[in-house]
Amino acid sequence: VLSMFCWCAGAGQDVGRSCILVSIAGKNVMLDCGMHMGYNDDRRFPDFSYITQNGRLTDFLDCVIISHFHLDHCGALPYFSEMVGYDGPIYMTHPTKAICPILLEDYRKITVDKKGETNFFTSQMIKDCMKKVVAVHLHQTVQVDEELEIKAYYAGHVLGAAMFQIKVGCESVVYTGDYNMTPDRHLGAAWIDKCRPDLLISESTYATTIRDSKRCRERDFLKKVHETVERGGKVLIPVFALGRAQELCILLETFWERMNLKAPIYFSTGLTEKANHYYKLFITWTNQKIRKTFVQRNMFEFKHIKAFDRAFADNPGPMVVFATPGMLHAGQSLQIFRKWAGNEKNMVIMPGYCVQGTVGHKILSGQRKLEMEGRQILEVKMQVEYMSFSAHADAKGIMQLIRQAEPRNVLLVHGEAKKMEFLKQKIEQEFHVSCFMPANGETTTILTNPCIPVDISLGLLKRETAIGPSPDAKKPKLMHGTLLMKDNSFRLVSPEQALKELGLAEHQLRFTCRVHIQDPRKEHETVLRVYNHLKGILKDYSVQHLPDGSITVESILIQATAHSEDQGTKVLLVSWTWQDEELGSYLTSLLKKGLPQSTP
Amino acid sequence: YRDLHTFELQAPTRLIEWARGNRVCVAGYGQSDGNEILQLIPPPTLLTKETQGLCPERDFKVECGGFSERPVYSLKYVPDTSLLVTSGPPDSSLQVWQVSAEDSDVIKSVSTIATENGTGQSWAKIATISARAPWVLHGSRLDRVQITEVESRKNVYTAAFRGSEELSGLAFLDCNTLLLCCATGRLCLADIRQPQSLVEAMSVPPAPCSEQWCMGTRHAAQGLELSSQPVACLSSRGLLTLTDLRKTSEFLALAKARVPSPGSGAEFLCISWAPALEGYLAISGFDGTVHVYDTQSWDSSGREAEPVFVHKGHAFGGAGGSGDPPLVTVHTWHLQKPRTLLSAASDGSLHIWDWVQPCGMC
Repeated sequence: VLSMFCWCAGAGQDVGRSCILVSIAGKNVMLDCGMHMGYNDDRRFPDFSYITQNGRLTDFLDCVIISHFHLDHCGALPYFSEMVGYDGPIYMTHPTKAICPILLEDYRKITVDKKGETNFFTSQMIKDCMKKVVAVHLHQTVQVDEELEIKAYYAGHVLGAAMFQIKVGCESVVYTGDYNMTPDRHLGAAWIDKCRPDLLISESTYATTIRDSKRCRERDFLKKVHETVERGGKVLIPVFALGRAQELCILLETFWERMNLKAPIYFSTGLTEKANHYYKLFITWTNQKIRKTFVQRNMFEFKHIKAFDRAFADNPGPMVVFATPGMLHAGQSLQIFRKWAGNEKNMVIMPGYCVQGTVGHKILSGQRKLEMEGRQILEVKMQVEYMSFSAHADAKGIMQLIRQAEPRNVLLVHGEAKKMEFLKQKIEQEFHVSCFMPANGETTTILTNPCIPVDISLGLLKRETAIGPSPDAKKPKLMHGTLLMKDNSFRLVSPEQALKELGLAEHQLRFTCRVHIQDPRKEHETVLRVYNHLKGILKDYSVQHLPDGSITVESILIQATAHSEDQGTKVLLVSWTWQDEELGSYLTSLLKKGLPQSTP
Repeated sequence: YRDLHTFELQAPTRLIEWARGNRVCVAGYGQSDGNEILQLIPPPTLLTKETQGLCPERDFKVECGGFSERPVYSLKYVPDTSLLVTSGPPDSSLQVWQVSAEDSDVIKSVSTIATENGTGQSWAKIATISARAPWVLHGSRLDRVQITEVESRKNVYTAAFRGSEELSGLAFLDCNTLLLCCATGRLCLADIRQPQSLVEAMSVPPAPCSEQWCMGTRHAAQGLELSSQPVACLSSRGLLTLTDLRKTSEFLALAKARVPSPGSGAEFLCISWAPALEGYLAISGFDGTVHVYDTQSWDSSGREAEPVFVHKGHAFGGAGGSGDPPLVTVHTWHLQKPRTLLSAASDGSLHIWDWVQPCGMC
């Protein structure tokens, strides 16, 4: 029996908090450990006391799996492992392991340094947490223990994102994390084989969305950049080192080439080094196009994109700059922002979600007067734009994934407490599977039909296939054997072998039945009548008339005697062994019907 | 263009209907089971006056959906109720559905309005009104026109017209007056208080038999007397006629659209007046384009008219090059934004576009 306890909270935007507990064949696995970005207090962490009231988490959980580096999937991990306490293995892909600590540290800095929080994990905790991480490769089966194994599949979405298959014996669950079924410029599409899990847990926050085409969004982005640059303004695009930055660079480079634009585009060097480093490490995680580009030349040997120098920010005239960090909370991007914010000809384009407390978040919320260090007020006159290129699966994508994996049950995890009856019906109708949509904190129990593998002895197999009419490959065939259960193995052997192995003697069971038939003739004539009658009907069987006056049908014996009191009645003695039960009963009922009149 | 957004539906639609609260409804018309009716919330960019471009909410949201066993060829909301009516092959019966978006996101099938089905009947064209009660006007042929009360399914009016021409459209001009358009081009007016009478509103110039016609009336929501608004008709050969219903003896205007020679038939012919732009109309159904015309420059000569704008987006659809080029199945105007249209094509694409007047007018 598979049972699940689901936490998932969303806040409307692309951010929720993921943390799911799965109990499968006695093993307990935690899937993701996300932080709720909307809250500033303890509500941002999942309530782990749900899991076990007084036991140790390390004893209760067999492992923790993290799907990708977004904070709503890994943000609470250091809190969980170091402050609540968990020392067991934490699994994630290599890129996730490399990038997680950077994001967690960034996040910690913002929360503690900028907002002055105290109940938060420390830098050391992040380091200690990562020491418990075991990195896995795609499609590599990892034995967590003797019974539990996991395997990662490519999920698209962001660098290093994976879907995980969790298997115990013949029961399995696939957890998708966030995934995307359409490839984009730098990542491929999610893919899984026909692994037929008992349960597929899928993200469904975007299930009700029909996204506009990528081309439109890109076109609008280019239009905005172009308009700003044409009027002499400067465009700032704060980015995280990896992911969308590369896509946007490729996009701008192509556009600049096509439109023959002269304004400079800069990419801050810190970014270049980091990005190159990671891409070299994780080249197999990106899609074909990037790989080809990277192999042919250095990622950032663009004709129009140059390395940035701090001094350039003061240069007059239009330009476009990519700078870190992505939420404008510190560093170079914030410095540049402060220089350019006062001019309405300039523009800042935020390419993703910003955590509360960051300048990025404030300006996206509409704030135009920001308090900086030293009580300085910064007036923001530059244009603020937001654009999300992040890719999630929509209804069509979810259906595609279900079609690929062929699960027996589907569980949809979603942000708001949305009623998604329509999608549930759609899935149930198309795939004839059960679809669950638990609310936060709800436990879902899914019954599975486990398969029990049984070995059949070769001798038995050969024997059973040899007897009877030639087997029809499509029809199921009934076999007889003895099931031996020893330790954890199941074997099907012939009865003789079972007896031998167990050192038991075989018992013989013999049935005898008396059938009265009316026949005034002599015994041996009755026998002849019976013999001819049976010979005529039982054409496929061996019917013999023996010299001693008895008849045999296969191994069944029939003898005739006169009735002691009534000469007109003959008594047929029909005798058979337990193995011939079927034929014996059939013969008996046949004889009970009497002999045909006109037998010679 | 001032703006263009392209979307891809899971299944193509041949209808786009506006509903209360700026919702939009589309539905599948595939032959097999499992056609979906989807009520969508358009992206906020469509709803605001100023087009924003990089606004984060650029997507359609499926608000609720239903499953139809038969292909949905026509759908109309019943005003002032939470019901909608659909029709589609194989016969001319109607299906009634309930939309209750607050409680559940499933559009439930409520009832069927059965009709007498003779041989060779195709699907019913429908129109709805809720003046006296929620009514649906429907029929596949001229002699099979009736009005049924939606909730009780009682028949309120049965036309007694003679003539078995197939209908291509029908409309309520007001709660007593019906406008019927036959596929042959015959346009008729009827008063429901007089079931027998049928007034010819337009006589069509002689044309090859295979020519089919459809009509476009102005939206009742204008608050103007509908009968004072001209009716526009479009033929599968590209002929465009404007008729003033008060003066049916001659055409108000006659023009010809430049369209490819009819190969795709008249299945998806569509013509509609702009609700917020006087004298503008749009046509589609010949190929992967939508044409916008300014009829104020038209006369009765039947000359070829120049479109003010041609939307070609569907013809350059993304989905590979295999198969037939996509055909625009339907288009509709935004009810408030004067130059915004929505169009859908046979490849599942759904576009929202806002065109710019080419030579600095208005």
